[in-house]
Amino acid sequence: MRDFLKSTKFKVLLGLLAFLVGIMIYAVTKGGYAVSGASVINTLTKPFRAVSNGVGMKIENTIDKIEHAEDYYEENQRLKAQIGELNKQLTDYEDLKEEVEELRKFVVIKEEHPDLVITKPAEVLGYVTNDPFKSFTIGLGSEDGITPYSPVVTAEGLVGITIDVSAHVTTVRTILSPDLSVAAVCAASGGDHGVIEGTVLTAAENTTKLTHLSPDNELKEGDLMITAGNSGLFPKDYSIGTVKSLGFEANGLSACAVIEPCVDISRLSSVTVITDFTGKKEDSDADQDAP
Amino acid sequence: MRIKTPREKRILYFKTTLRWILYYLLILLSFIIMTSGTWMKPILLVPAAMCIAVSNGQLASAFTGAFCGMLIDIACGRLFGYNAVILAFFCALVSLMFELYLRPRFFNYLWITAAVAFAQCWLDYKFYYQIWDLADIQVIFRTVTMKVWLYTMISAFLIYPLYRLIDRLLLPKIHMTLEEAIRTN
Repeated sequence: MRDFLKSTKFKVLLGLLAFLVGIMIYAVTKGGYAVSGASVINTLTKPFRAVSNGVGMKIENTIDKIEHAEDYYEENQRLKAQIGELNKQLTDYEDLKEEVEELRKFVVIKEEHPDLVITKPAEVLGYVTNDPFKSFTIGLGSEDGITPYSPVVTAEGLVGITIDVSAHVTTVRTILSPDLSVAAVCAASGGDHGVIEGTVLTAAENTTKLTHLSPDNELKEGDLMITAGNSGLFPKDYSIGTVKSLGFEANGLSACAVIEPCVDISRLSSVTVITDFTGKKEDSDADQDAP
Repeated sequence: MRIKTPREKRILYFKTTLRWILYYLLILLSFIIMTSGTWMKPILLVPAAMCIAVSNGQLASAFTGAFCGMLIDIACGRLFGYNAVILAFFCALVSLMFELYLRPRFFNYLWITAAVAFAQCWLDYKFYYQIWDLADIQVIFRTVTMKVWLYTMISAFLIYPLYRLIDRLLLPKIHMTLEEAIRTN
């Protein structure tokens, strides 16, 4: 052992460790951009990861079908009954009108945002390994105009924000994560507002949490929550999710709600990144106020 | 040590090159598996790096550990270089332990892998979850950290035979003269 500690090999090892620590420190200072080493590996492995992820998802789906065949059968029977019921409801004009109104809420959001500059649809390359908050990587990067802290959406609603941008691959932090806070307001009342932030427990259920809610709020289950747009990180009035259940914080001073995202974040195949919108915070400001 | 003939030297170079190519192909395959699908998966690169450290020198093991660590950083969305430092250190240490104190047996590999994988998982939990003091954070330790460690240990049983097969076929055997053998014993 003493011989080893005195050897050149040991000095080279120390040098290597120092170099790696240097890389780590350099990565911290990059402000959301991947270091070139990671960028090269990401670019080289991108096609393999895309193919392998496709195969992996198919295998998982097949095993899932076999494993839960009985559940699916029961669900199928239940859905058939529901379809019958819905067919009856379709004849009812009032119900149809309500449904149209619900859909209109989403259409209005799109109509009211002609200012959004969005990328082409980005393929989801895969989910970050073992991340309980469902972060994932997409097949677009800085060469496609993506910058760190850009909102990531689907037509249904907000998904998350870009955090680690390399040339052709970007990592997305989702709204299930406690590290992302989104100011939200109720679409129906417009008065009930709070902060949507993931927690360990809600993330396990693919839901997120609305906190800092006034105790005398008028929210009810099923209400749609949309972005308030006052942070400059997210466009105003974009759908986030619906209220699943209401409750109070442990301190009893404020209310909270479990929010079911409009998008099934655990099963995404493609998303879109909003690169610019009215009221967007400048890059320098965004860096200082990163979520 | 017996002097090798030019033919033996050529075979040795060829086998060594092929061995390292196979090592790195298995590493890349492990990385691709780790980045596929949505299920919880083992950190396959930890047992892989340990397998290489068991039968190779400190420098080669440290560099391979650093490379595996960088791939883990990319797959798990960690700060680039964080796992590289951890695995480079552990690989060099493990290589040294096997050179000086341990015999390259499956049981030794298993407990070493268990210790290193646990250290890697525990540090990951400490620095990426517990440090932020989030509510119910111990749930992550129970449902993610320990599960990933368990899966990694199960995967170690599958990875070890692959690397042993490569070593058995391609790792050069040390030829000693009778005098050297007597001196060594």
